[in-house]
Amino acid sequence: MLIVPCPNCGPRNSADLRYVGESRPRPDPNSTSTEEWRAYLYERANPAGMLRETWYCRSGCRRFFTLERDTVTNEFTNPPTPVAKLGKRP
Amino acid sequence: MAELPAFESPVSTPFVSSAGVPMEPGGPDAPLTLQDVSSTTKIIVRAGPGTDACRRLSTPFTTSRMEDGVLIVGQRPDEWTLLGQGTAIETVIDGLDRSGHVSVIDGTHSRAMFRLTGADAASVLEKLCSLDWNDHMTPDGAAVSGSVARVTCDIVRNDLDGTRCYLVSCDRSYGQYLFEVILDAGQEFGISPFADPAC
Repeated sequence: MLIVPCPNCGPRNSADLRYVGESRPRPDPNSTSTEEWRAYLYERANPAGMLRETWYCRSGCRRFFTLERDTVTNEFTNPPTPVAKLGKRP
Repeated sequence: MAELPAFESPVSTPFVSSAGVPMEPGGPDAPLTLQDVSSTTKIIVRAGPGTDACRRLSTPFTTSRMEDGVLIVGQRPDEWTLLGQGTAIETVIDGLDRSGHVSVIDGTHSRAMFRLTGADAASVLEKLCSLDWNDHMTPDGAAVSGSVARVTCDIVRNDLDGTRCYLVSCDRSYGQYLFEVILDAGQEFGISPFADPAC
């Protein structure tokens, strides 16, 4: 089971989230070439190592967020401190 | 707000668990109860940061508080659910400044809600949900969202007279299934179902 650190809700079972995909900057449609646009839409780096990716917390805060994950070990680097901070309410 | 038709419960009677076991309504002294409270008025307010509505509601994300008979739940970072009855909730909504990025939606008829009450309420949820129901993680007043029996639910801990109690709400179309599956999970703890008194 993959535990995903949601920045709002804290650690969550990946079944509570949706994997959106690799996170890359969207090229400017006014200045990019057809090849670059196609590469942005369809080509993926799919590295064996660190990958910046977008997740959607569909069962919790319903927010999109970006994390860095090692695709070999499934470890997230620098997981964010959750906003919720469950158990530390005033 | 416009006048809505009479409320119709999402849960049919007689009660049957998801395993097909008939469940008889229990008395007031039952150790664990599941009551359909779907007729509770549920107002969903989204308010962007910096708006007057955001400052007015102010309940932080993952917490809830009772104000003048209305339970204000910080369900998401910029979304609050107001739970209550009658004029109390109308007073809060009418007094809300809607200028800026603010939306107010009446979710009473689109959401089912159940009240799970009893010392073993957390044990029932543990069978259906991966969230931590320990006191130090979800104390009284905690508000969380997650998957319960694979249904996305909003859950608020709202203890009554010191008895552990959870308000579980989901989309109305899942109401019957969720009610039955909670009954099934609670059978080993002696759960008793109750119908919505307003229906």
